[in-house]
Amino acid sequence: MPNRVHNVGYGDRTPFLNAAASAKLRAEIDEQLDLQVAEWYANVPEAAHLEGRNVDSAYYKRHLIETAWRIRLLRVAESKALAEIAKRSPEAAQVWANYEQEEMLHDELFIADLEKVGVSREQFLDTEPYLSTKLLTGYFSYLLDHEGPLGVVAYSYLVEYVNVKLEPKKLEALKGSVGESNIGGQINHSHTDINDDHPGEVWAAVRHLLRGDDDIAAFKRYLREHQSILAQYFEELYQDTIVKAEKQSV
Amino acid sequence: MALKKLTILPTGTEILLPTGSPLTEVEYETPQRLIPFGCRSGSCGACVVQVLEGFDSLGEPDDDELDFLEDLGRTGGNHRLACQCRLRGDAIVRVADDI
Repeated sequence: MPNRVHNVGYGDRTPFLNAAASAKLRAEIDEQLDLQVAEWYANVPEAAHLEGRNVDSAYYKRHLIETAWRIRLLRVAESKALAEIAKRSPEAAQVWANYEQEEMLHDELFIADLEKVGVSREQFLDTEPYLSTKLLTGYFSYLLDHEGPLGVVAYSYLVEYVNVKLEPKKLEALKGSVGESNIGGQINHSHTDINDDHPGEVWAAVRHLLRGDDDIAAFKRYLREHQSILAQYFEELYQDTIVKAEKQSV
Repeated sequence: MALKKLTILPTGTEILLPTGSPLTEVEYETPQRLIPFGCRSGSCGACVVQVLEGFDSLGEPDDDELDFLEDLGRTGGNHRLACQCRLRGDAIVRVADDI
Protein backbone atom coordinates (compact mmCIF):
# COMPACT_ATOMS: atom_id res chain seq x y z
CA MET A 1 0.00 0.00 0.00
CA PRO A 2 1.49 3.36 -0.97
CA ASN A 3 2.29 5.96 1.65
CA ARG A 4 -0.58 8.44 1.60
CA VAL A 5 1.10 11.09 3.76
CA HIS A 6 1.15 14.49 2.05
CA ASN A 7 1.77 18.11 2.93
CA VAL A 8 4.41 17.67 5.58
CA GLY A 9 7.37 19.18 3.80
CA TYR A 10 8.79 15.83 2.65
CA GLY A 11 9.42 16.95 -0.91
CA ASP A 12 12.38 18.81 -2.37
CA ARG A 13 12.97 21.69 -0.01
CA THR A 14 15.77 23.34 -1.95
CA PRO A 15 14.77 27.03 -2.17
CA PHE A 16 13.68 28.25 -5.59
CA LEU A 17 16.02 31.22 -5.05
CA ASN A 18 19.61 30.68 -4.03
CA ALA A 19 21.17 33.14 -1.59
CA ALA A 20 22.26 35.65 -4.23
CA ALA A 21 18.96 35.49 -6.12
CA SER A 22 17.07 35.94 -2.86
CA ALA A 23 19.07 39.06 -1.98
CA LYS A 24 18.51 40.44 -5.49
CA LEU A 25 14.76 39.89 -5.33
CA ARG A 26 14.58 41.41 -1.84
CA ALA A 27 16.26 44.57 -3.13
CA GLU A 28 13.71 44.69 -5.96
CA ILE A 29 10.84 44.22 -3.51
CA ASP A 30 12.23 46.96 -1.25
CA GLU A 31 12.29 49.32 -4.24
CA GLN A 32 8.64 48.54 -4.86
CA LEU A 33 7.88 49.26 -1.20
CA ASP A 34 9.74 52.58 -1.34
CA LEU A 35 7.49 53.56 -4.26
CA GLN A 36 4.44 52.41 -2.34
CA VAL A 37 5.51 54.55 0.64
CA ALA A 38 5.80 57.58 -1.65
CA GLU A 39 2.32 56.86 -3.05
CA TRP A 40 1.06 56.52 0.51
CA TYR A 41 2.26 59.95 1.55
CA ALA A 42 0.90 61.45 -1.68
CA ASN A 43 -2.58 59.94 -1.52
CA VAL A 44 -3.63 58.97 2.00
CA PRO A 45 -5.24 61.83 3.96
CA GLU A 46 -3.19 62.91 6.97
CA ALA A 47 -0.65 60.18 6.19
CA ALA A 48 2.04 62.09 8.06
CA HIS A 49 -0.24 63.28 10.85
CA LEU A 50 1.63 61.46 13.62
CA GLU A 51 4.93 62.84 12.35
CA GLY A 52 3.75 66.43 12.79
CA ARG A 53 4.08 68.83 15.70
CA ASN A 54 0.39 68.94 16.54
CA VAL A 55 -1.30 65.61 16.98
CA ASP A 56 -5.07 65.37 17.15
CA SER A 57 -5.83 63.60 20.43
CA ALA A 58 -8.84 61.64 19.15
CA TYR A 59 -6.91 60.52 16.06
CA TYR A 60 -3.96 59.37 18.16
CA LYS A 61 -6.05 57.45 20.70
CA ARG A 62 -8.22 55.76 18.07
CA HIS A 63 -5.12 54.80 16.11
CA LEU A 64 -3.63 53.07 19.17
CA ILE A 65 -6.94 51.33 19.85
CA GLU A 66 -7.12 50.07 16.28
CA THR A 67 -3.47 48.99 16.30
CA ALA A 68 -4.07 46.86 19.41
CA TRP A 69 -7.20 45.38 17.81
CA ARG A 70 -5.35 44.66 14.58
CA ILE A 71 -2.66 42.77 16.50
CA ARG A 72 -5.30 40.82 18.42
CA LEU A 73 -7.30 39.88 15.33
CA LEU A 74 -4.42 39.11 12.99
CA ARG A 75 -2.49 36.94 15.43
CA VAL A 76 -5.31 34.40 15.17
CA ALA A 77 -5.05 34.24 11.37
CA GLU A 78 -1.24 34.33 11.55
CA SER A 79 -1.32 31.32 13.87
CA LYS A 80 -3.48 29.45 11.36
CA ALA A 81 -0.90 30.44 8.74
CA LEU A 82 1.78 28.59 10.71
CA ALA A 83 0.04 25.26 10.08
CA GLU A 84 -0.21 26.00 6.34
CA ILE A 85 3.43 27.10 6.19
CA ALA A 86 4.58 23.94 8.00
CA LYS A 87 2.88 21.82 5.32
CA ARG A 88 4.93 23.57 2.65
CA SER A 89 8.21 24.44 4.33
CA PRO A 90 9.29 23.44 7.84
CA GLU A 91 12.19 25.88 7.47
CA ALA A 92 9.83 28.77 6.87
CA ALA A 93 7.57 27.55 9.68
CA GLN A 94 10.45 27.64 12.15
CA VAL A 95 11.23 31.24 11.24
CA TRP A 96 7.55 32.23 11.28
CA ALA A 97 6.97 30.61 14.70
CA ASN A 98 9.88 32.56 16.15
CA TYR A 99 8.59 35.80 14.62
CA GLU A 100 5.11 35.19 16.01
CA GLN A 101 6.58 34.36 19.42
CA GLU A 102 8.21 37.78 19.48
CA GLU A 103 5.12 39.65 18.24
CA MET A 104 2.26 37.70 19.82
CA LEU A 105 1.62 39.83 22.90
CA HIS A 106 2.47 43.28 21.60
CA ASP A 107 -1.12 44.45 21.87
CA GLU A 108 -0.33 45.05 25.54
CA LEU A 109 2.34 47.61 24.65
CA PHE A 110 -0.22 49.73 22.81
CA ILE A 111 -2.83 49.25 25.53
CA ALA A 112 -0.25 50.48 28.07
CA ASP A 113 0.27 53.64 26.00
CA LEU A 114 -3.50 54.13 25.79
CA GLU A 115 -3.71 54.08 29.58
CA LYS A 116 -1.01 56.78 29.68
CA VAL A 117 -3.31 59.12 27.73
CA GLY A 118 -6.43 58.33 29.71
CA VAL A 119 -8.02 55.48 27.74
CA SER A 120 -8.77 52.59 30.08
CA ARG A 121 -8.62 48.91 29.19
CA GLU A 122 -12.41 48.84 29.52
CA GLN A 123 -12.80 51.69 27.01
CA PHE A 124 -10.50 49.85 24.63
CA LEU A 125 -12.51 46.64 24.95
CA ASP A 126 -15.78 48.54 24.39
CA THR A 127 -14.53 49.98 21.08
CA GLU A 128 -15.44 47.92 18.05
CA PRO A 129 -12.75 47.63 15.37
CA TYR A 130 -13.25 49.55 12.12
CA LEU A 131 -14.70 47.81 9.08
CA SER A 132 -11.33 48.06 7.29
CA THR A 133 -9.68 46.09 10.10
CA LYS A 134 -12.36 43.43 9.92
CA LEU A 135 -11.90 43.26 6.14
CA LEU A 136 -8.16 42.85 6.54
CA THR A 137 -8.79 39.96 8.92
CA GLY A 138 -11.24 38.49 6.43
CA TYR A 139 -8.73 38.88 3.61
CA PHE A 140 -6.25 36.82 5.63
CA SER A 141 -8.86 34.07 5.96
CA TYR A 142 -9.55 34.18 2.23
CA LEU A 143 -5.83 33.91 1.47
CA LEU A 144 -5.33 30.94 3.78
CA ASP A 145 -8.40 29.15 2.44
CA HIS A 146 -7.83 29.77 -1.27
CA GLU A 147 -4.35 31.06 -2.13
CA GLY A 148 -2.04 29.82 0.63
CA PRO A 149 0.03 31.45 3.38
CA LEU A 150 2.34 33.55 1.18
CA GLY A 151 -0.10 36.47 1.19
CA VAL A 152 -0.29 36.48 4.99
CA VAL A 153 3.50 36.50 5.26
CA ALA A 154 3.61 39.29 2.64
CA TYR A 155 1.58 41.52 4.98
CA SER A 156 4.21 41.13 7.69
CA TYR A 157 7.03 41.94 5.27
CA LEU A 158 5.21 45.12 4.26
CA VAL A 159 4.57 46.34 7.80
CA GLU A 160 7.98 45.34 9.17
CA TYR A 161 9.83 47.02 6.30
CA VAL A 162 7.82 50.19 6.70
CA ASN A 163 8.05 50.14 10.51
CA VAL A 164 11.81 49.83 10.61
CA LYS A 165 12.17 52.54 7.99
CA LEU A 166 9.61 55.08 9.24
CA GLU A 167 8.79 54.34 12.87
CA PRO A 168 11.91 56.00 14.39
CA LYS A 169 10.99 59.30 12.70
CA LYS A 170 7.41 59.04 13.92
CA LEU A 171 8.47 58.20 17.47
CA GLU A 172 10.84 61.17 17.58
CA ALA A 173 7.92 63.40 16.60
CA LEU A 174 5.61 61.79 19.16
CA LYS A 175 8.17 62.42 21.91
CA GLY A 176 7.54 66.11 21.29
CA SER A 177 3.79 66.04 20.65
CA VAL A 178 2.54 63.35 23.05
CA GLY A 179 5.50 63.12 25.44
CA GLU A 180 8.23 60.50 25.70
CA SER A 181 6.85 59.14 28.97
CA ASN A 182 3.52 58.42 27.25
CA ILE A 183 4.83 56.39 24.33
CA GLY A 184 7.01 53.81 26.10
CA GLY A 185 5.02 50.89 24.70
CA GLN A 186 5.48 52.07 21.11
CA ILE A 187 9.20 52.60 21.72
CA ASN A 188 9.46 49.07 23.15
CA HIS A 189 7.60 47.70 20.12
CA SER A 190 10.02 49.44 17.80
CA HIS A 191 12.96 47.99 19.75
CA THR A 192 11.74 44.49 18.95
CA ASP A 193 11.28 45.20 15.24
CA ILE A 194 14.76 46.64 14.94
CA ASN A 195 16.73 44.48 17.42
CA ASP A 196 15.32 41.23 16.11
CA ASP A 197 15.59 42.34 12.47
CA HIS A 198 11.97 41.55 11.78
CA PRO A 199 12.12 42.45 8.08
CA GLY A 200 15.02 40.00 7.73
CA GLU A 201 13.20 37.31 9.69
CA VAL A 202 10.06 37.61 7.60
CA TRP A 203 12.06 37.64 4.39
CA ALA A 204 13.71 34.36 5.44
CA ALA A 205 10.23 32.83 5.63
CA VAL A 206 9.20 34.41 2.31
CA ARG A 207 12.24 32.97 0.55
CA HIS A 208 11.30 29.42 1.52
CA LEU A 209 7.69 29.92 0.41
CA LEU A 210 8.54 31.21 -3.07
CA ARG A 211 8.43 28.24 -5.42
CA GLY A 212 8.40 29.90 -8.82
CA ASP A 213 7.88 33.09 -10.83
CA ASP A 214 4.11 32.94 -10.28
CA ASP A 215 4.70 33.13 -6.54
CA ILE A 216 6.97 36.15 -6.98
CA ALA A 217 4.30 37.92 -9.05
CA ALA A 218 1.68 37.06 -6.44
CA PHE A 219 3.92 38.32 -3.63
CA LYS A 220 4.25 41.71 -5.34
CA ARG A 221 0.47 41.83 -5.80
CA TYR A 222 -0.14 40.96 -2.15
CA LEU A 223 2.06 43.88 -1.07
CA ARG A 224 -0.07 46.28 -3.14
CA GLU A 225 -3.37 44.79 -1.98
CA HIS A 226 -2.44 44.96 1.70
CA GLN A 227 -1.46 48.59 1.28
CA SER A 228 -4.86 49.29 -0.31
CA ILE A 229 -6.67 47.87 2.70
CA LEU A 230 -4.43 49.77 5.14
CA ALA A 231 -5.14 52.96 3.19
CA GLN A 232 -8.87 52.29 3.70
CA TYR A 233 -8.17 52.11 7.42
CA PHE A 234 -6.37 55.46 7.49
CA GLU A 235 -9.21 57.03 5.49
CA GLU A 236 -11.72 55.61 7.99
CA LEU A 237 -9.64 56.88 10.92
CA TYR A 238 -9.36 60.35 9.36
CA GLN A 239 -13.10 60.56 8.69
CA ASP A 240 -14.03 59.30 12.15
CA THR A 241 -11.80 61.71 14.07
CA ILE A 242 -10.49 64.81 12.30
CA VAL A 243 -13.30 65.25 9.75
CA LYS A 244 -15.99 64.46 12.31
CA ALA A 245 -14.57 67.10 14.69
CA GLU A 246 -14.42 69.66 11.88
CA LYS A 247 -18.07 69.03 11.00
CA GLN A 248 -19.12 69.33 14.64
CA SER A 249 -17.29 72.62 15.05
CA VAL A 250 -19.08 74.23 12.09
CA MET B 1 8.31 22.14 46.84
CA ALA B 2 10.68 25.01 47.61
CA LEU B 3 9.24 28.48 47.20
CA LYS B 4 11.31 31.62 46.68
CA LYS B 5 10.21 35.16 47.43
CA LEU B 6 10.23 37.97 44.92
CA THR B 7 9.58 41.46 46.29
CA ILE B 8 8.50 44.01 43.70
CA LEU B 9 8.91 47.72 44.40
CA PRO B 10 7.52 50.33 44.57
CA THR B 11 4.38 48.51 45.78
CA GLY B 12 6.41 46.15 47.97
CA THR B 13 4.27 43.24 46.81
CA GLU B 14 5.72 39.86 47.77
CA ILE B 15 5.18 36.92 45.43
CA LEU B 16 6.11 33.33 46.26
CA LEU B 17 7.06 31.13 43.31
CA PRO B 18 8.48 27.62 42.95
CA THR B 19 12.27 27.57 42.50
CA GLY B 20 13.22 28.12 38.89
CA SER B 21 9.97 29.82 37.86
CA PRO B 22 10.20 32.43 35.10
CA LEU B 23 9.38 35.91 36.37
CA THR B 24 6.59 36.12 33.80
CA GLU B 25 4.65 33.97 36.31
CA VAL B 26 4.19 37.12 38.37
CA GLU B 27 1.45 38.16 35.98
CA TYR B 28 -0.68 35.16 36.89
CA GLU B 29 -0.29 35.55 40.64
CA THR B 30 -2.03 38.90 40.93
CA PRO B 31 -4.43 41.00 38.83
CA GLN B 32 -2.12 44.00 39.34
CA ARG B 33 0.30 44.60 36.48
CA LEU B 34 3.36 44.71 38.72
CA ILE B 35 5.92 44.25 35.93
CA PRO B 36 4.96 45.61 32.48
CA PHE B 37 5.93 42.66 30.29
CA GLY B 38 5.94 43.24 26.54
CA CYS B 39 7.44 40.80 24.03
CA ARG B 40 8.56 38.30 26.71
CA SER B 41 11.49 37.43 24.48
CA GLY B 42 14.10 39.93 25.64
CA SER B 43 13.91 42.31 22.74
CA CYS B 44 11.48 45.14 23.55
CA GLY B 45 12.76 46.40 26.91
CA ALA B 46 9.34 46.95 28.51
CA CYS B 47 10.15 44.86 31.59
CA VAL B 48 13.48 46.31 32.72
CA VAL B 49 13.95 46.01 36.48
CA GLN B 50 16.66 47.16 38.84
CA VAL B 51 17.76 44.32 41.10
CA LEU B 52 18.20 45.66 44.61
CA GLU B 53 18.93 42.32 46.28
CA GLY B 54 19.55 38.78 45.02
CA PHE B 55 21.08 39.54 41.60
CA ASP B 56 22.54 36.03 41.45
CA SER B 57 19.14 34.54 42.31
CA LEU B 58 17.80 35.52 38.87
CA GLY B 59 20.24 33.51 36.74
CA GLU B 60 23.03 34.68 34.49
CA PRO B 61 22.14 37.30 31.80
CA ASP B 62 23.31 36.25 28.33
CA ASP B 63 25.29 38.47 25.96
CA ASP B 64 22.21 39.57 24.00
CA GLU B 65 20.49 40.76 27.16
CA LEU B 66 23.61 42.62 28.35
CA ASP B 67 24.02 44.29 24.93
CA PHE B 68 20.40 45.40 24.90
CA LEU B 69 20.54 46.73 28.47
CA GLU B 70 23.55 48.79 27.41
CA ASP B 71 21.58 50.10 24.40
CA LEU B 72 18.85 51.13 26.83
CA GLY B 73 21.37 53.02 28.95
CA ARG B 74 21.06 50.60 31.86
CA THR B 75 24.79 50.27 32.37
CA GLY B 76 24.98 50.16 36.16
CA GLY B 77 25.31 46.38 36.19
CA ASN B 78 22.26 45.75 38.36
CA HIS B 79 19.49 45.75 35.78
CA ARG B 80 17.78 42.80 34.16
CA LEU B 81 15.04 42.14 31.64
CA ALA B 82 12.52 40.45 33.91
CA CYS B 83 11.23 38.22 31.11
CA GLN B 84 14.68 36.63 30.86
CA CYS B 85 14.97 35.82 34.59
CA ARG B 86 14.16 32.70 36.58
CA LEU B 87 13.73 32.90 40.33
CA ARG B 88 16.27 30.60 41.98
CA GLY B 89 16.49 32.46 45.31
CA ASP B 90 14.88 35.41 47.08
CA ALA B 91 15.21 38.74 45.30
CA ILE B 92 14.03 42.34 45.47
CA VAL B 93 13.46 44.28 42.24
CA ARG B 94 12.19 47.71 41.32
CA VAL B 95 10.40 48.29 38.00
CA ALA B 96 12.18 50.66 35.65
CA ASP B 97 9.54 53.39 35.63
CA ASP B 98 10.40 54.08 39.22
CA ILE B 99 14.19 53.78 39.06
